[in-house]
Amino acid sequence: MNAILNIKVNILSRKEVAPNIFLIKLLAPSVTQEALPGQFIHIKCSTDDYPLLRRPLSIHRIDKEKGEIYILFQVVGEGTKLLAQKEVGDNLDILGPIGNGFNIYPESRKIMIIGGGIGVAPLLALCEESIKQGNEVRVLIGAQKKELVIGEENFRKLGAKVDVATNDGSYKYKGLVTDLLERIIKEGWLADQIFACGPKLKLKKIVEVSLDAHIDCQVSLEERMACGIGACLGCVCKIKTKDKKEGKIKYEFKRVCVDGPIFEGSEVIWDD
Amino acid sequence: MINKTCLKVEIAGIKLKNPVMTASGTFGYGQEYTPFVNLNRLGAIILKGITLKPKKGNPPPRIIETPSGMLNAIGLQNVGVEVLIKEKLPYLKKFNTPVIINISGDTIEEYIELTRRLGEVSKEMGVAGLEVNISCPNVKKGGMAWGTDAKATYEIVSSIRKATTLPLIVKLTPNVTDIKIIAQAAEEAGANALSLINTLVGMAVDIGSRKPKLANISGGLSGPAVKPVALWLVWQVFQTVNIPIIGIGGIIKVEDALEFIIAGARAIEIGTANFVNPRVTIEIIEGMEKYLVENNIKDINELVGSIKI
Repeated sequence: MNAILNIKVNILSRKEVAPNIFLIKLLAPSVTQEALPGQFIHIKCSTDDYPLLRRPLSIHRIDKEKGEIYILFQVVGEGTKLLAQKEVGDNLDILGPIGNGFNIYPESRKIMIIGGGIGVAPLLALCEESIKQGNEVRVLIGAQKKELVIGEENFRKLGAKVDVATNDGSYKYKGLVTDLLERIIKEGWLADQIFACGPKLKLKKIVEVSLDAHIDCQVSLEERMACGIGACLGCVCKIKTKDKKEGKIKYEFKRVCVDGPIFEGSEVIWDD
Repeated sequence: MINKTCLKVEIAGIKLKNPVMTASGTFGYGQEYTPFVNLNRLGAIILKGITLKPKKGNPPPRIIETPSGMLNAIGLQNVGVEVLIKEKLPYLKKFNTPVIINISGDTIEEYIELTRRLGEVSKEMGVAGLEVNISCPNVKKGGMAWGTDAKATYEIVSSIRKATTLPLIVKLTPNVTDIKIIAQAAEEAGANALSLINTLVGMAVDIGSRKPKLANISGGLSGPAVKPVALWLVWQVFQTVNIPIIGIGGIIKVEDALEFIIAGARAIEIGTANFVNPRVTIEIIEGMEKYLVENNIKDINELVGSIKI
């Protein structure tokens, strides 16, 4: 893994792309040199003790030429609220890039990328890299309603075929993104790899569908995080261990921050 | 103005370059912080709490942020003492900084066996001392049960004392009616120093699901929110015992560290602040030097317990 940097980066632009969803562009050449799709940066949002902890946010796009990274995030609490209030020209204290990143196999030809809600955040960089490596890419975006469908055009511009599902049917397919996935598999478009990010229950279902179709599936996980560098053991998830004595499934707690955030879907134990 | 200051302190017979140590559980096994901190500059490194056998820890969510602080319920997840000796300690040997190992157990026998094992390898692996955790609020057995009763504290500390000649620091819990009695018991049982405070037990509730926000229900509160409590307890204990005190609790800047020293701490441990600013230990050391120079104090030891009442 790359060395994690602790640097101050300048905000180059800031835009509310959907209600409560913001896109900010940061000048961070030292980060872009190393950054991989699926990694995140850990941002100090406040300038005092409240909120105290950093916020882990996925890298949305990596522009190596310009040395810029994009962060796409939803305002959900005090930290992200403060971040959304930052202005162009402000400096941000960040740690990064952190994590393992998605693993696109060299032998893959067809890739399916699935994002639920703000879960599309780490997937644009992944889509770009997948296409760069010569893959045919399809993207499925799921959202509550039309206004919350994010990034559809951006994925399309990169050359991916994009399908959208909204829960309330206000845009494109009415229903769940997992229904779309099942339909596409039934129609015979079989990916070599599936990558997904979104709410836990949705990920669980995507992994089930993928495994039924014998397709390798990687998921990006989220957990409450403190240090972000593997020290505090706060952000763990349950991962199956290889030792399968007596047919019993064993598990261990792995750190989402540095062991992940990307895990093989088949290895994740989904507790409700 | 003076231009040379002395930050050296001695804790439990361990000579420190400066009073800044890392609090157990917040600095991993040291290596995690090497991208940000030159470990040679620290007073001492206290490692993530270790047990005889590896421990899985508690299910997530393990941490929740609270106003100016956080609750954690990690549950002492650790690699176990053998992996510590084989894989973690060799890396730390190349640094010129004392390594102190924080130990935990479910039973007295486990503490003793762990102490003996670390004693056996202490010279070869560079173990400078032990911090005895009798104050972890997040494990079912052992942990805080020892540290909330003076008799139990005496019993466990004296048993460990008999098992080793290594310097012993006993880490105290604030979750007691009178910490002075526990501190005295630890001193009488042979502790060479006391560190305080461990976290305060607390909880947080999700009003949507009406469930506790931590899977463990309760957790330990740390961060700036606990600093006043920690300071008060350090000062109470300072007036009670004759052994050195290491102050812990919500230190995120040099002023916080100095408050603890003035209240009676000879050294301090930095915990939660490492999560926010990975370079905080170094910044506090530099801040201490500056404070001494600016206030014409030659030796940090002059400051210890210098509070004017």
